[in-house]
Amino acid sequence: MHCFGALAHRKYTVYDGLPKSGHYPNRASKETQEMNIVVTIKQVEDPITPPSHMVLDPSGKQVRSASGAPLVINGYDLNALEEALHLKEKHGGKVTAIGLGDVSGRKVFKRAIAMGADSAVLLADPQWEALDSFGIASVLAAGIRKLGNADLVLCGRQSSDSDGGQVLYWLAHMLDLPVVSPVIKIEESDASALVVHRLMDEEYQRLKVQLPALMGISSETNEPRLPTPKGTIAATRAMIPCWNASSLGLETSDSKVTLEKLEIQIRTSSAEFIRRDSGAESGKALADKMHELGLL
Amino acid sequence: MSGILVIGEVVGGSVTSQSLEAVAAARKLASDRGETLSGALFGADLAAAVAQFDASFSALLVLDSPQLGSYLAEPYVAAAELAIKRLNPSVVLLPHGSRTRDWVPQLAARLGAGLVLDCVGVGIKADGVAVTKPMHGGAVLGELFVRGSPAIVTLRGGAFEPALAGGGGNVEHLDMPPMPGAGRIQHLETVATETGTGPRLKDAKVIVSGGRGTGGSENWRFIEEAAAAIGAAVGCSRAIVDMGWLKWNHQVGLSGTIVAPDLYLAVGISGAVQHLAGISNAKTVVAINNDPDAEIFRRADYGVVGDFLEVLPAFTERAKELRK
Ligand SMILES: Cc1cc2nc3c(=O)[nH]c(=O)nc-3n(C[C@H](O)[C@H](O)[C@H](O)COP(=O)(O)OP(=O)(O)OC[C@H]3O[C@@H](n4cnc5c(N)ncnc54)[C@H](O)[C@@H]3O)c2cc1C
Repeated sequence: MHCFGALAHRKYTVYDGLPKSGHYPNRASKETQEMNIVVTIKQVEDPITPPSHMVLDPSGKQVRSASGAPLVINGYDLNALEEALHLKEKHGGKVTAIGLGDVSGRKVFKRAIAMGADSAVLLADPQWEALDSFGIASVLAAGIRKLGNADLVLCGRQSSDSDGGQVLYWLAHMLDLPVVSPVIKIEESDASALVVHRLMDEEYQRLKVQLPALMGISSETNEPRLPTPKGTIAATRAMIPCWNASSLGLETSDSKVTLEKLEIQIRTSSAEFIRRDSGAESGKALADKMHELGLL
Repeated sequence: MSGILVIGEVVGGSVTSQSLEAVAAARKLASDRGETLSGALFGADLAAAVAQFDASFSALLVLDSPQLGSYLAEPYVAAAELAIKRLNPSVVLLPHGSRTRDWVPQLAARLGAGLVLDCVGVGIKADGVAVTKPMHGGAVLGELFVRGSPAIVTLRGGAFEPALAGGGGNVEHLDMPPMPGAGRIQHLETVATETGTGPRLKDAKVIVSGGRGTGGSENWRFIEEAAAAIGAAVGCSRAIVDMGWLKWNHQVGLSGTIVAPDLYLAVGISGAVQHLAGISNAKTVVAINNDPDAEIFRRADYGVVGDFLEVLPAFTERAKELRK
């Protein structure tokens, strides 16, 4: 089940015809450091949508923006993609974006290419519409196996719509990879290991992780780049293959968790406003009010 | 498969109060389903913690091992798997936190068990459990059904009243089992972040928190002065962390710290759902914002519409006088 020939593709040819010393001291080792990185991407409703601008679709199980705002790439996935591009710049190699979605989601994947990903694969099948974390991870695992040879799988630490926080762990288990999340920094990287910082409560851990591995990336890691003009041209030309259940050889499995109902939490209450003639007067009155309530 | 198992968390040698909240939820579930209630604790140097964990367990499984000292997932997964094999529970409840959010999904994957993280409600249903969980940053409440057994659920802090702590009864010690997959991740060190001199955000009774509306790092001193004047901890929105003004340990919210102060003063914070998710247990929320339509005013108890540069220094001055 856990076949994952991640190391098989690496080039261990040390001698490349260039002098070993002199101008290219790192060249040979750099070649062997090439990283094949897969980034998982999810399309989500824009997380800045306040509850008052949300509606439920007819099934009652899907949130939509009332104004029909387009889907965006999950924020943490953008951080994962940025980190992948950064590692590629450092080590060479290839970045592939992969994720589930319907065919309209191709646009989202084009953005990944516009940012600098080498290629993207869309996983789409009508039977995948109501999958739980286990089901989604099964599809992603099959897709990543089909891509083959990943040294590193980078995921966002969680998705901003379901706030599920599980898929990356199921995926790591299915691919038999060590997993660290939420990662706030990749401090060092070479062909065999990463040193990363994992966020805990009021501290962070420095961990050394053997490759191949899977990381859940958090927003503290980086500021995602914007698409480049060159990337945007590449994106318009890019073919984004679409793999379905039969092309992945996947059968449906029973879900372990089902969504029964969603309820939008609209706030109707309002603060008691403290208004005086000036901002300073209001600030003073606010302090008086807090004092009166015994809160100072 | 029957029985409810609650796995407590130990921090700094003590059982967390969030663990006792999980005990309360588990006890209710056990009595509603007519099932037994068991407990488990994993960690290093657990003697004091075992005595603090609740007494009314039919069994309390304890795995006390130095391997559970500096946190890595593998030994926790192995310990929990052993406890679950021993007790065969139908439901496993845990407090949701920075450790459990990491190792519990790995446990679920190993067992092939249904799991929902970070729930605020849990109830009985045939062949599984029904849970409620905030989604979309807290903008939406989801009802989910976890099928099969064990069904695993982690509970958000503050959603339940903690059970009274008592001395442990029926304690049984387990030995550390072999750890599948161990060794691929090596713990180099744990680094504490500087928290400054003020109170810790998590336990603070009073918090002054600033957002993007504070305009620039040169204005941040107004937040610090206000906090110092009223003995408050300093918090912030994610925007402030993203801009690099403060470290992430000051961030309040879904992906930061969940706080529960008596007074939360939000300055120049718009009130995004992900921020509000961190203050749902704050008793009194006060907002200063120059936009009268800001979402924060729907959550706040008291509000001042205005430029914080005018409002806040005057607030701070007056507060100093009143506290003399
Ligand atoms: C998955 C996910 C997790 C997240 N987790 C968190 C989290 O844990 N915590 C968090 O905070 N955010 C979190 N966010 C980000 C969140 O969505 C918002 O982007 C963020 O909270 C906005 O911060 P802000 O209120 O400071 O900034 P803004 O939304 O830009 O608000 C600034 C406010 O300041 C007001 N203002 C401007 N000038 C003045 C002035 N002179 N005087 C008074 N008021 C003024 C404005 O009217 C505005 O309301 C998360 C987002 C995602 C997608």
